[in-house]
Amino acid sequence: MTALVETQAPAAAPLAPPRAGMLRTLLSRPMGAIGVAMLLVALVVAVAAPFLAPYDPYESIRVTVFDIYQKPSAAHLLGTDDGGHDVLSALIYGARVSLLVGFSAAFISFLIGGLVGIVAGYRGGRTGAALMRFTDFFLVVPDLALQIVIVAIAGPSLLNIILVIGALGWTTSARLVRSQTLSVRERKFVLRARAIGAGDLHILRRHILPQVLPLMIANMVLVVSLAILSESTLAFIGLGDPTLISWGQMLNFAFDRGAVSAGAWWALVPPGLAIVWVVLGTTLLGTALEDVLNPRLKRHHLERERFPRRRAPAVDPQRPMELPQGAATAPLLSVRDLVVEFESPSGPMRAVDGVSFDLRRGETIGLVGESGSGKTTTVLAMLRLLPPGGRVVSGQVLFDGDDLLALGPAELRAVRWSRLSIVFQGAMNALNPVRTVGDQVAEAIRTHEPGIGRRAAAVRGRELLERVGIPGRRGRDYPHTYSGGMRQRAMIALALACDPDVIIADEPTTALDVMIQAQILELLARLSAELGMATIMVTHDLGIVGERCDRVLVMYGGIIAEEAEAGRLYAHPQHPYTQALLASFPDVAHPDRRLVGIAGVPPRLDNMPPGCPFAPRCPYVFDRCLAERPPAFPLTHGRRASCFLVEPGHERAAAAAVTAEPADA
Amino acid sequence: MPDAGRAPVLEVQDLRKQFRGQRSLVDVLRRRPARHVTAVDGVSFDIRPGEVLALVGESGCGKTTTGNLLLGLLPATAGKVILDGRHVGSLSNRDLLRLRRNVQMIFQDPYESLNPRMRVRDIVAEPLRVHRVGGTTAEIDGRVREALEQAGLKPADAYQHRLPFELSGGQRQRVVIAAALALRPSLLVADEPVSMLDVSIRADILNLLRSLADEHGISVLMITHDLSTVAAYADRIAVMYLGRIVEIGDARTVLADPQHPYTRALRSVVPVPDPSARRRPVILAGETPDPSRIPSGCRFHPRCPVAFEACPRVDPPLYELGEGHRAACLLVEPEYRAAAERERLQED
Amino acid sequence: MQGRGAYFGSKIGWALVTIFVVITFNFILFRVLPGDPAKAGGHDPRLNPATQAALTKRFGLDKPVLLNLDGGNPFDTQYFAYLGALARGDLGDSYNFRDQSVGDLLGDALVNTLWLVLPAQVLSIVAGTLLGLLAAWRRGTALDVGALTFSLFMWSLPTFFLAILLLFAGASLFDLPTAGGSTIGAVYGSFWDELLDRGRHLLMPTLAFTLVLLGEYMLIMRSSVIDVFSEDYILTAKAKGLTTFRIIRDHALRNAMLPMVTLIAINLGFTVSGAIQVESVFSWPGLGALTVDAVSTRDYPVLQGAFLLLAVCVVIANLAAELIYGWLDPRVTEG
Repeated sequence: MTALVETQAPAAAPLAPPRAGMLRTLLSRPMGAIGVAMLLVALVVAVAAPFLAPYDPYESIRVTVFDIYQKPSAAHLLGTDDGGHDVLSALIYGARVSLLVGFSAAFISFLIGGLVGIVAGYRGGRTGAALMRFTDFFLVVPDLALQIVIVAIAGPSLLNIILVIGALGWTTSARLVRSQTLSVRERKFVLRARAIGAGDLHILRRHILPQVLPLMIANMVLVVSLAILSESTLAFIGLGDPTLISWGQMLNFAFDRGAVSAGAWWALVPPGLAIVWVVLGTTLLGTALEDVLNPRLKRHHLERERFPRRRAPAVDPQRPMELPQGAATAPLLSVRDLVVEFESPSGPMRAVDGVSFDLRRGETIGLVGESGSGKTTTVLAMLRLLPPGGRVVSGQVLFDGDDLLALGPAELRAVRWSRLSIVFQGAMNALNPVRTVGDQVAEAIRTHEPGIGRRAAAVRGRELLERVGIPGRRGRDYPHTYSGGMRQRAMIALALACDPDVIIADEPTTALDVMIQAQILELLARLSAELGMATIMVTHDLGIVGERCDRVLVMYGGIIAEEAEAGRLYAHPQHPYTQALLASFPDVAHPDRRLVGIAGVPPRLDNMPPGCPFAPRCPYVFDRCLAERPPAFPLTHGRRASCFLVEPGHERAAAAAVTAEPADA
Repeated sequence: MPDAGRAPVLEVQDLRKQFRGQRSLVDVLRRRPARHVTAVDGVSFDIRPGEVLALVGESGCGKTTTGNLLLGLLPATAGKVILDGRHVGSLSNRDLLRLRRNVQMIFQDPYESLNPRMRVRDIVAEPLRVHRVGGTTAEIDGRVREALEQAGLKPADAYQHRLPFELSGGQRQRVVIAAALALRPSLLVADEPVSMLDVSIRADILNLLRSLADEHGISVLMITHDLSTVAAYADRIAVMYLGRIVEIGDARTVLADPQHPYTRALRSVVPVPDPSARRRPVILAGETPDPSRIPSGCRFHPRCPVAFEACPRVDPPLYELGEGHRAACLLVEPEYRAAAERERLQED
Repeated sequence: MQGRGAYFGSKIGWALVTIFVVITFNFILFRVLPGDPAKAGGHDPRLNPATQAALTKRFGLDKPVLLNLDGGNPFDTQYFAYLGALARGDLGDSYNFRDQSVGDLLGDALVNTLWLVLPAQVLSIVAGTLLGLLAAWRRGTALDVGALTFSLFMWSLPTFFLAILLLFAGASLFDLPTAGGSTIGAVYGSFWDELLDRGRHLLMPTLAFTLVLLGEYMLIMRSSVIDVFSEDYILTAKAKGLTTFRIIRDHALRNAMLPMVTLIAINLGFTVSGAIQVESVFSWPGLGALTVDAVSTRDYPVLQGAFLLLAVCVVIANLAAELIYGWLDPRVTEG
């Protein structure tokens, strides 16, 4: 759902929870545990009714006027009803009918709905469409009215009631199962099974059913609650099986025979609450089951920001960076010792661990790294746009003298977009699908220039679109009518709307074709040169860095492993990770070079090595790397690297294959 | 190295695929004709044992559809596919299934292409079960283990009982490869096999595919958009544009001296990590046209930087340039080149 | 906007097809099911033999059911007679209310039902939307948990039971009337007196209905808002420097309403069943009460007519919801 969050979401998130823990997960949630408990009580009552009930409600008794609607007493804990029967006993026996009808009818619905849904979803095409039309028809027919008509005509026997409720209650399951089957059918592992040569039966049995069945069962539990409600409603209207005692029937008799005017609440309230008990139990269980099987995102972007807001800077903003920068101009943007953590069940996970860098006016720097390196988290933290659960622990983001991390909400809003804007990866989701593109560009202008009129903002928006190569009239169209490349252009137009000083481009060309990628990168480079903007390019592609960046920051495991001017980084990489990354990166200009992968995998946030994050994969690792985190060692030409091998006077520096850069390269 | 003398594993002749456009109720009422999308428009190539052929192009060029046609995931509209010397279209269903063991697929997304509820062992054994190969449990066990180790998951026992979520992306892609190897195929179709993997992992997977070709003689059809991986791993390249192969030949030759202007443009926009090697890229304007409206003549002419008068009229065939290098551009023909030269001089 | 026209056209077309299917289904239902109500009606002991014969003739029970294949006019059948009568707006006569046509009965009842259903729908949609929005925004707080618990409880409460409780409470605590749409035989001194009397009758049924619908609307709105709030375009809006209020108003609300519109459409069938229950508890003279009365008195022409009217109302309301959806979401109308 959220492509943006993916890159920094805890890497531990598994594809699917292992089945063994499902029951435990279910019971560990209050909803699931309460639901199960409530249903168990109802089940025990229904099964043990003859032992629990003080009287037999089916036994015919001789009644006098004094026996009916007796107040609760020791003999009749819940009083007596309109027929002089013990309410409590009837209540206990009523559980049998409710549960029997509920589960049997739901099972019928489950079978019909499951079959229709799987066939419609798996076959697709005309068969699927016809089945869905059929389902839609049943969906618009008011089911209680139809149930009433059929039961009235066919006669209110228990079997008829079960059949009617079951045969009319399958539509929602069919829709759910169909959409599930459709999405599973399109998944790659099903496609792969088909490519292997597997037949439909094999695919259904081995791949589709195991994925769909759990949700079907969760849905069936919810259908049970609906069936119980339907049964009680039918009985209340007078269409219950006259030979059986059910809660709806009890309410029907009591309501029709003067319980309200007699003030006999005990004949009305207990059966009603009994229905609520069972329905609530099944609803809780069903909802909890769905939630366990298909966990939904529970966090969102508008949650309160978790940030220790403090004006007093932890780091002296005037303190110069201890690395020689070699440039005379003061930086436009300085990030100092930025630390970001994410919440997780096992405690906070550090995604960014002390990142510092400068950005000067008009310059393009590349923030390069693999997934989980913390590059996207770094830029989102700078703008205070961290996904929910993330929080800046410490550090500063100095922009033109202000610490962005210490600004109040109104001050922050004023800086956002007008001075620092961002081009997100995957522009499909970054543009609002129900508003036109032109409208969204104009909105940004009007937000930061409140005086500008609606018309003038629209004209400016048009000009911006033209500027990025989109015909102005397309501004009236919605994002979904744009191609991927066009959307990214629109996103750039949006980012330029308020003439910012800094543009952050987060993987701006991922998922685009190479030709479109070249167009977008060229556009960004041309516009930032024309408008004198500084650019931070976040990417995993060393080629983009080589082509488009002045300076490069290589990130790994939440730290900056190496910083250097682009040409020097390529010619003389200092950090073993940079060296290995370059050795593994294919280069169309050098087809004869054999590529070497880096053994092992990038570290996971929940399992970060205590020393250097690259130590487990480093060919030059020694004991100190495992125990101690290397600081950034300043090198010549404004470079730095976080590796003990480059530490001045390190005895192994010469022995290791670290290429010493000629002092005057 | 590919054995040029031996018969090709796969021969594709004039393969075509048209998708019928869906007509809505309103379209039918208004008698609007259905739009046909020609995804693959007469593609021919062959692959020799142990050869890695790369099918390169942008999205929508028909490279993935070609792969799906070879695997029998889609029926072809026209053309011949000859696999191991047998014409696929002429076979009975049973023989077809038997033949399909020889072609296996590796998908782009290792995170999605493994059933999250199946263990590694069952995933790798699945093709054997589907094709009823292997017979006894012990035999299947042996072949699963062999496939896992061939795919670089050693020792096999450490992985057999794991679930996909317990594996890293690279390991998952190796499981996919192992499942493909279980049937001992002669051809692997790999659709963007590394594009979803971390940069540092990619080289290992590509090296594995290369060694399968070199050491086990398995042919690989690599479908990709990325010319830089092709450069390092493919023997030959076929560049596709709008359903056609526009240039095909030895990988090094094509990349060093591309003859089709589309290949030249594509080659020039591949980012190179060496900043000192920056050159001005040939950036084509616009996007690939809609495959339901293929331009007349040379389909590339509306975007071609060197198009001349004849291009909208003449649909160029693949001209032979020597040593199997062919390009579908009029400018490689001396006559047309002279005509284009004259036109250019007149304009000046 | 060609796509939009095509979308609306196809939706309207399908609604017409569905209505036709409902009509046919309704015809078959009352003839095929055991008990054969048409014949039962013909043999209703309350009618004298002459009327019975007239009724049999009127229903054309001697004619073939669907198509006349024995020669003569193939459309001279019960089914086409039924269609013809429907086209003239003739739904037959009630058994019970001797002098009234089913059409008149249903017309009056429909107006009463709308008086009950429309305010309750509007109230529950507004309240459910706001509550859901608030709960989602302040996710995980006491407000959220409280709203969630309340909604689940309301959802589990059978409508008729809630209606009984409110009836009980209204009568005993506020001395509200327990039955009907107005006080029988009342002579109103002024328009305001009449309004007050009707309002007193309407209060508890409307409240019952609102509460029943509210729970589900709130649940759906809450999860829909959480989904939208975690979309990337919300992050874009935040990055643009919009205030939270403007993000919600301009970027979240419309998108979050989309699942609500679908739910409201799907819920219309549920609305009907709610109306049946609320009306029968409060003896509200609407379609629902009429249906229940028709069941208990075996008044089949009324039952058949009521079912048809309910189904057609749901189809039309469903169509309205789909058109609104198409208007709200450009993605479904412009391919």
